[in-house]
Amino acid sequence: MALTKEQLKDIETKLVELAAKQVGPLIKEHAGTQFEAFDDKANQVDLVTAVDKKIESIIKQSLSTLYPDFKFVGEESYEEDHTVIGKEPTFIIDPIDGTTNFIHGYPYSCTSMGLVENGVPVCGVVFNPHLDEMYHASAGNGAFLNGKPLKVTERELKLQQSVIALEAGSERSSGSSGDDNFDIKQATYRNLLSDQGGYIHGSRSCGSAAMNMCMVAAGKLDAYWEGGCWAWDVCAGWCILAEAGGIVVGGNPQEWEVPVDERCYLAVRGGCSQPAQKGFVKEFWSHVAGKLKYRW
Amino acid sequence: MADTFLDLLSIEKYLCDLAVEKVGPIIKAKSGTQHTYDAKSGSRAVDIVTAIDKQVENLIWSNVKQQYPDFLFVGEESFVAGQTQITDEPTFIIDPIDGTTNFVHDFPFSCTSLGLTVGKEPVVGVIYNPHLNLLISASKSNGVRVNGEEFDVRAKKLEMGSLKLSSSVVALQPGSAREGPNFTTKMKTYQNLLSCDGGFVHGFRNLGSSAMTLAYICLGYLDSYWDGGCYSWDVCAGWCILKETGGRILGANPGEWEVPVHNRTYLAVRGCEDPQEQEEYIKRFWDCVDGKLQYN
Repeated sequence: MALTKEQLKDIETKLVELAAKQVGPLIKEHAGTQFEAFDDKANQVDLVTAVDKKIESIIKQSLSTLYPDFKFVGEESYEEDHTVIGKEPTFIIDPIDGTTNFIHGYPYSCTSMGLVENGVPVCGVVFNPHLDEMYHASAGNGAFLNGKPLKVTERELKLQQSVIALEAGSERSSGSSGDDNFDIKQATYRNLLSDQGGYIHGSRSCGSAAMNMCMVAAGKLDAYWEGGCWAWDVCAGWCILAEAGGIVVGGNPQEWEVPVDERCYLAVRGGCSQPAQKGFVKEFWSHVAGKLKYRW
Repeated sequence: MADTFLDLLSIEKYLCDLAVEKVGPIIKAKSGTQHTYDAKSGSRAVDIVTAIDKQVENLIWSNVKQQYPDFLFVGEESFVAGQTQITDEPTFIIDPIDGTTNFVHDFPFSCTSLGLTVGKEPVVGVIYNPHLNLLISASKSNGVRVNGEEFDVRAKKLEMGSLKLSSSVVALQPGSAREGPNFTTKMKTYQNLLSCDGGFVHGFRNLGSSAMTLAYICLGYLDSYWDGGCYSWDVCAGWCILKETGGRILGANPGEWEVPVHNRTYLAVRGCEDPQEQEEYIKRFWDCVDGKLQYN
């Protein structure tokens, strides 16, 4: 089966409603109040809270009632090596993206709800209740911010004149267990910033992959490069970005086509021609200082 | 003239009205529309200024001159290196648009930053971001206001809990100097702060605006900010507000406990209940600084 444009719009509307009425208020109410409650995930930087789990179960419950045949992959219920994203329509959900922000009350936590079919993101809703920003899109129906079409101003796209989202992430060990990701990222940041390298206008970090994807979709950032995040961090934003004329490729050079769970991405805004986007990607890749690796 | 003879609260109110009614609308309307901009004279390709910066500075200057004819004025656009001095006289120190790169790219963190020093000390500060409609203001001994409402500093401090390097979110900005020893010092220090063998901070954020970063520390969204290369007008307003919340500004280099407003390198740390804890935080932070930031 393939979902029609109309069906997708209907799903988008339902997700917007769920985000606005149920998930958003919970995130807003609990942000910045969880200091004593968080438990460790991978290490002390990667935080998960009871609210995260509670919100995921609310979303899962609602969606399984509305769409009993669709699969569900959520950050909190994900099991490494067991959870597989197949061809069937599958909701890919991050109940709270930007957990560190959420804990610190930094106003860039949001809920991120995406749907893939045949592995392709076809619907996405990202809601930041602190700034009251609802980004939403579905395949063939366009991208919107709070109901208004996202229009990226047509302009040139050049690496040197770009502002790019770059995050440190939670993986911070240098060279341990043959894993060079932290060092490669730091060297790449340096290459991009240096006057001997990309010499980009600037880098920005908001600490939320979903918000970064939406900012690129809106053309407020030119690109976002990331390694280490998960399908649920990018799935919704991916659809929103694609509908706004942007593209997602791999974070490592020459990876023009990547699956939603690649874990390493480069997102580039619209508002320019496809050759301009490709040129930007190639130039960006030339500054990547090694191969980021997330599959073993 | 001593600040005790000035009605600082009324100056704060005046600057708030100026920011919201006259400056904000221009920044909001023109953000993302300036596709032609200059590299600052004799300067780097990533250090940019637009015609609007100059226009807004003129607007602010002509207004405050009328209201406070005896006060001196230091503005980003009218500043002359080697000539402009900050004296003991009441002096407006203003950045018409802080976050010019954000302004050009329409990243929603450009703002106006209006400060007043008396006896070289920041005693009034007003920061207004029209994209987020966020106005934060303070004056010496008068506390802090957010969008005109009194801000409960004590309640916020209690909510945030203890201040520790490893559980903090730190603002870091590479800025526009991308060469030489300062750039190297910054890159190494970032790595030290992030690394699991170093500060292992919860995360870093990069907003691309010093004034907005200081505002976010005052609001309790961020714990600290470390930077070099910025100017008095980038920090003057935020400095006053931060002080009113119990926060501190020091030099970016270890041991610089007392610095003037035009120091060019800064470490800003949020307030907390225990001053001892704040001092400990500062020392631990300085331990991660690798090299020395120097600007003339």
